[in-house]
Amino acid sequence: MSEATAPAARGATHTARHAATARHRSLLRPLLLAAVLVVLLLAPLYVEEFWLRTGFAVFGAIVGAIGLNLLVGTTGQLSLAHAFFLAVGAISYVYVSGESGGLGTTTLGGLGWPPLVGMVVGVLLAGLAGLVFSPIAARLRGIYLGVASLGLVFIGQHVLNTWTSVTGGFNGRSAPDFSLFGFTFANDNPLLFIAGVPFREAERLWYLGLVLALAAYLFARNLLRSRPGRALQTLRDSEVAASVMGVDVQRYKGRVFLVSSMYAGLSGVLYALSIGSVAPESFGLEVSIQYLAMIVLGGLGSVGGAAFGALFVSALPLVFQRYADALPLVSSPGQGGLNAGEVARYLYGAAVVLVIMFEPAGLAGLAGRFRRRGRDPGGGRATRSSSASTDPSTSSVPSDRPAQGSTT
Amino acid sequence: MTAAREVDEPTRSDIPPVEVDGVSVRFGAITALSDVSFTVAPGTIHAVIGPNGAGKSTMFNVLSGVYQAAEGQVRFGDARLDRMRPYQIAGIGVARAFQNIALSGTQSVAENLMLGRHHLTKAGFIAAGLRLPRATREGKRHGERVAEIAEFLELGDKLQTPVGVLSYGDQKRVEVARALCTEPRLLLLDEPVAGMNAEETTRMAEAIREIRSALGISIVLVEHDMGMVMSLADRVTVLDFGRRIADGTPAEVQSDPEVIRAYLGSGDEINPSDAAAGHPSETPGTRP
Ligand SMILES: Nc1ncnc2c1ncn2[C@@H]1O[C@H](COP(=O)(O)OP(=O)(O)O)[C@@H](O)[C@H]1O
Ligand SMILES: [Mg+2]
Repeated sequence: MSEATAPAARGATHTARHAATARHRSLLRPLLLAAVLVVLLLAPLYVEEFWLRTGFAVFGAIVGAIGLNLLVGTTGQLSLAHAFFLAVGAISYVYVSGESGGLGTTTLGGLGWPPLVGMVVGVLLAGLAGLVFSPIAARLRGIYLGVASLGLVFIGQHVLNTWTSVTGGFNGRSAPDFSLFGFTFANDNPLLFIAGVPFREAERLWYLGLVLALAAYLFARNLLRSRPGRALQTLRDSEVAASVMGVDVQRYKGRVFLVSSMYAGLSGVLYALSIGSVAPESFGLEVSIQYLAMIVLGGLGSVGGAAFGALFVSALPLVFQRYADALPLVSSPGQGGLNAGEVARYLYGAAVVLVIMFEPAGLAGLAGRFRRRGRDPGGGRATRSSSASTDPSTSSVPSDRPAQGSTT
Repeated sequence: MTAAREVDEPTRSDIPPVEVDGVSVRFGAITALSDVSFTVAPGTIHAVIGPNGAGKSTMFNVLSGVYQAAEGQVRFGDARLDRMRPYQIAGIGVARAFQNIALSGTQSVAENLMLGRHHLTKAGFIAAGLRLPRATREGKRHGERVAEIAEFLELGDKLQTPVGVLSYGDQKRVEVARALCTEPRLLLLDEPVAGMNAEETTRMAEAIREIRSALGISIVLVEHDMGMVMSLADRVTVLDFGRRIADGTPAEVQSDPEVIRAYLGSGDEINPSDAAAGHPSETPGTRP
């Protein structure tokens, strides 16, 4: 009875302008997305192998960055363990789908199962590792979790270096080609031409990466716009408010940690495919930090931002390397001076600092600013930065909410 | 201008009394609440008043499970609120609007309100991420109810606006609306009109009265605005330095010498005659 009677409608008028801008927005976005998608789908017909391989590396990084962003950007839980979960995914894949055999003095184990199974197992084992750690993740908050998760990276490094029969040890081991129901993502088997263009490994992997990155993107977007997503975002802004509104805070922190580690697992598998091998040095602390740089650059909490950040941070060193001759300061490998990787790192390091100082909402915030400029001058500034500045209530510790952490 | 209750308003059978029984809360050496007891009768508006620092918000934190009571019990029907976690308390129909706005500034009004539906809905990570039809349907159905409640609190045209850009008064209304969105049986309002202007205050008081009469739920109200307390409340509990110094009808409490002394000492105003219109205090909760 009461459900319908309470809110006796009281004079509220919908402004037409509001409805119009909403419609405008709802049309522009899908159109833009569709255009980008078409370009990405046609790219292998026109673009040379280097760009396709770079693209595949970027797609893999996008998956990982979106996953980390769900944890750090959306929920406000810092993790430095992302590289560890990448490693779990990558190693699981090479072990499950790799063949056993000798390599010099060591004997490598391998199950030789189909690569699709290897990929799925990689994601699941990363998830399992996340699940094992999630009771800790559920009880810690923000930076404390960051410090605790640091331990995982070191454990991971140790295991990677010493568990030689699985990981290949210090030298690592090669990753088996991906294949899907007999269709191999390699140069042949079967030979394939589309519109006269040979479809070799780079072309095939491009589509694999595109599909998986798109799926990762859509899943995260849907998530954020729905019940669990709202709970996670509120949890970031005020744990007490979230719990008082009915959110089981510990459970949600554990869950998002699990999801984030599964994203990392998939990203790790894609990384192994992209490089063609795995080695301990690919999963060190710098990698965790690189992923943090991606999501800060892109804009914490924004799924699209994470994708842009991943593009920037992961493609930059590759592009610099390729154009080392043409760029000042950058030298080819083996010569003196700065190498491409270093230059790229300085560049995105500087970019991170600039973003934090001038546009805390990251690339996503910049994009939003341009979009709004064309549409509704002045009004509706609505990004994270606005909340950071207009919402002091969430940062101070007022007496009607307990000091941070006292509920956990 | 005392509590004007209609004679035949619905009192729901599913709303039990709230029994606060000998509750004490300590923070180190500070005793924020000391042996406080009172009972909120079903379907009434019960005000908790007292000078700043008296322990009113602390009492709310105990009622909503955020703080643990060192001693005492809080019962809501069969449920022992003092032994439950906050999300479980929300699950049995206790909702709270915070004194210091605790909304998500980046999310729209609609999204903030939808959080109130959390315990009434089910969609998990997988259903939501894959946009399974049942998740979409659920979201839509609850979205309609949320829009109704927003309309009721005059937020209907602001549903898509990010909360961070709203005025203070609007944000306070979103707080109350979000609590209402949980379809509560017990509504805890912590200074819902603090910082509002006179007109906003009057409208909020009207809304609170309407919530009680239409929904028949119990409301516990912490408020500084004495005019509002005296006109709205069926019963008043007065706290001072964590102790209960009075408990009775507004008229009884108003003439209680100890209450008058506590308020004179604090400089707060208890005489409703000049506060009846709602005093336009600019700075909520900052009085010494
Ligand atoms: N988390 C906390 N830690 C320490 N002291 C607290 C905490 N919360 C409240 N207090 C203290 O308890 C007392 C009552 O505060 P509060 O309940 O916020 O008062 P009111 O809401 O009546 O103004 C104050 O002295 C306050 O400093
Ligand atoms: Mg208070």
